[in-house]
This record gives sequence, C-alpha cells and structure tokens, in this order.
Amino acid sequence: MTASIDRAATRPSAPARRPASQRFKRYVPLLSGVGVALFVISIWHIASTSGWVSAIFLPPPSAILAAFGRLIQTGYVDSTLLQHMGASLARVFAALAFAVVIGVPAGLLIATSPIGRGVLDPVIEFLRPLPPLAYLPLVIIWFGIGETAKVLVILLSMIPAITIATAAGARSASKNQVNAARAFGASPLQLLWHVLLPSALPSIITGIRIALGAGWTTLVAAELVAAGRGLGYMIQSAAQFLVTDVVIAGILVISAIAFAFEALLRFIERRYVPWAHNQ
Amino acid sequence: MSELRLHAVSLTYASPRSDTPSVLERLTLGISRGEFVVVLGQSGSGKTSLLNVAAGFLEPTDGRVTVDGQAVHGPSAVRAVVFQDDALFPWLSARDNVAFPLRLRGVTRDERARRADALLADVGLEGQGDKPIWALSGGMRQRVGIARALASDPEFLLMDEPLGALDAMTRDQMQELLLAVWSRSNTGALLITHSVEEALFLATRVVVLAAHPGRIALSQEFDFGRRFLAGEAARALKSEPGFVAAREELIASIHQPYFEVAA
Repeated sequence: MTASIDRAATRPSAPARRPASQRFKRYVPLLSGVGVALFVISIWHIASTSGWVSAIFLPPPSAILAAFGRLIQTGYVDSTLLQHMGASLARVFAALAFAVVIGVPAGLLIATSPIGRGVLDPVIEFLRPLPPLAYLPLVIIWFGIGETAKVLVILLSMIPAITIATAAGARSASKNQVNAARAFGASPLQLLWHVLLPSALPSIITGIRIALGAGWTTLVAAELVAAGRGLGYMIQSAAQFLVTDVVIAGILVISAIAFAFEALLRFIERRYVPWAHNQ
Repeated sequence: MSELRLHAVSLTYASPRSDTPSVLERLTLGISRGEFVVVLGQSGSGKTSLLNVAAGFLEPTDGRVTVDGQAVHGPSAVRAVVFQDDALFPWLSARDNVAFPLRLRGVTRDERARRADALLADVGLEGQGDKPIWALSGGMRQRVGIARALASDPEFLLMDEPLGALDAMTRDQMQELLLAVWSRSNTGALLITHSVEEALFLATRVVVLAAHPGRIALSQEFDFGRRFLAGEAARALKSEPGFVAAREELIASIHQPYFEVAA
C-alpha cells in the first residue's frame, strides 16, 4: 500500500492512465455505427427470409455474399468482378489524369491572367451546372460508343471542380507572399511554380475529391450506354434480368471504392499538405 | 556609400472620385547603408505606403526612387523586405524558406542548405532548420523572415512593423536581435512602427510622419541603438532620463496635429 503511493509520488510526470470510461468514449462513434449496421442487416435478413419482402426484390444478405463469391470466381456478363472493376477504374483514372492536366493549368490561368479569366471562366461556368447526362448523347453522336466517348464524358464532369478549386487556391496566396517572392527576384514563371502552385495544392486536392465524386456518378451513366465491361454495365445488365443480388453487390463495390478513394485522399492531404490544417 | 532615396515622392490611389487626398505628398527621404531609419506615425499616416514605394511594390504617382542615384522600378533583391505577417511559405521548412531567394538564383542545393543554416544560426535558430513553419511561434517565424531577407544579401532591409504582432517580452528580445543583425549585415535599415520606445531604441534617425497627406513632420538623430551595440544594457538605456525625455517629446509631436484639428 505505502509502496505503491511512494512510487506514484516519485513519478509525477508519468502520464496518468485514463479511466476506463474515457477510453471507452473514443470508440462510441465506431461502436454505434457498427451497431446500427448490424441492426439494419438483421432486419434485412428477417424481412427477406420470412417472406415480408420478395427475395427477387430484396435477396437476403447471405445471397449477396454468395453473389460476391460467384462474381469473383465466374463473373457476370462475360467478365469477373475484378475485370468489371478494372474497366471502370481505368476509365475514371484516365479521365482524372486528363482532368488534372487540363484543369490545374486552366485554374492557374484564370487566377493569374485577365485574358485567361476572360476566355476560360465562361467555358467552365457553362460546363459546371450541366448534368453530364445532358451532354452524354451529344458526345456519343460525335465520338461514337467507344472508350473515347466514355472517358470524355467523365473528364467533362471532372474539369470544372478541379479548375475552380485550383483558381481559388492560387488566389489564396497572400499579397505579401507574392510581394516577398517578387522582391527576391522571382520571375512570373518562378512565382507561379514556387508560390502560387504550392499554395493552391490543398485546394487542388479538395477539387480532386469533388471531381472523383462527380466522376463516379458519370461513370455509371456512361457505362449504361453500350459498354462491354464495367461496374455500371454489370449493374444495368443484372437489373434487366432482375438479378437483384448482383445489383446490390455492384452498388456495394462502387461504394467501397469511393470510400477507399476518400481515405487515400485524406491520407495524401495529411502527409503532403499538413500546413493546410495547421495554419 | 550606397543610398536608397525617395525624391519628392507623391502617391495617390487611383479612385473614381477626383478629390482623393494624396497618401504621400512630395516626401523626400534617404537611407544610407549603416543607417537605421525608423518611421513613426499614426495609423493611416502612410507609413506602409512609404515602405511599399521604397520596396518597389507601388510606383509613386509623382517623384522617383533611386538606389545610388539610379532610378529603380519594381522590387529587387537589393531591397529585402520583412513583413508584419511574416509572409513565409508554409509548405517549406524553416531552412527552405530562408534558402528561397538563393533557390531563385540557382544556387546549388548543398550550398543553399549551408548558407541557410548559417543565417538561421545568426538569428538564434540554430538547428531548427527542419521545422515546419506552422510549428514555430510568432517570434521564431519573424526570425525566419529576417534570415530569409538577409539571404538575398541585400543592401537595404525594409521592415513593415515586423514586431507588431509579438508579445512585449519577445518584442524586447527581437529589438536587440534586429540591432545585432543590422550592424553585422551592414545594411541600411528602414523600419515602420507604432511604438515610440522601439523607434528610439533602434533608430539612428527617427522620422515622424504626419497624416493627410503623408509628409515628414520631424526628423531627428539618436544613438541609443549604437550605445546598446557598444555594450550598454537595454533596460538601462530605455530608462535613462535622456531616453524618457525624447520619448515624451516624440509622443507629443505625433499627437499634436490631432489636438490642433480638435481645437
């Protein structure tokens, strides 16, 4: 008894162990989320196995799991799940790469040049509010039903977010930061590369995040029209034959991929632009 | 002896109304290397505009700015600037911020790091080069800003209230650091401040700016800073009768025009 008190007194700087209730508090959001998910899955299971809801409209969770197994091993509509995912991811990433290559310089031009703003701002503002489904038919008329048209539609849906975010980010460099660089003899190009682009970086990452959201939405729509492979195509084909378990499995895959992207971008943000949240 | 000079400089901000008063009116001011000129004045007296014109960020509406008799337009590395909000680049480490002017000139990476570390040591930040800017305190950031300004090997050091945002203790320390840096770098310093005590302690010459339009109301030489550098204690200097008397006189000269307006 005495010994333990003495030991505690000689180590006053040792971090006090948090009481159990406080440690538990950290997991409350996670636990409540998992709890609600388990509850919903249970209700779902009861509803579809007891006959409240027809298994054609809502197959039980176990059927979805089985559908995953079949999708991975034998596939659906001539391709395995991995091949469908590969086709969709390739389209989204090809579009994202082009969107960054076009959108970032366009944003920098809008932020730095009155001519750039005059020329590009109307184009972006024209594109931004248009739903991709509205111009999808036109893009198909012009570019056919091949990969070009699909990537192009996704690209068009991504460009406004990246351009606008880049322009806003480049404008966020303070007047004094710009003046400092000029006073140290920075040329306009050096100013762009060493000051405006880095200060736009956090904003560009946010733009990419928004663009990926728009890109996924557009992807599924683009694949509904004459694709031979892809998650959107898989879901659409399955829906036509009321293969509801594949439809639900496809939705879950898209959601998981979007979630993974979000986590990746948050990691990149913390790792590469830590100043953005520590100003 | 190198000299930065403003010749009868006037500045009017463009405005649709034609009756906009001048911010600066036919103001002439010279700063030689080895001099420490401190500009005092109330808010709105055109202190910052004066510095922006001297730095080349603003072109005067009338008059000209010369370095060694040559007219200059736009900013240049000869006149390095320290800003109140430090204007550092948060995506760079302390070392890379200091090395920024060298990087623009194409100095090699190793040489940049060596010189930046030496400059950081000069401002009392030895071994702190790897720290990110957002992990530094306000006083440390200002030290990085000063080291960065010195990295361009300037002839003139222009400082816009560099200590304005610091707490009183840090401010006193930084005043002593500024004097040491100024005398070591043999630059001509131009510093803007609100603080009369700071002006007296640092300046070889105090210039009081009167507002509406900005013009020089008073210009007076002092030697408290030089005496500090010669070894006298800062607190003893700041409390000696000569310092206190000069301080009260300067405060009176700054406030006088306001009473006249009121009367």
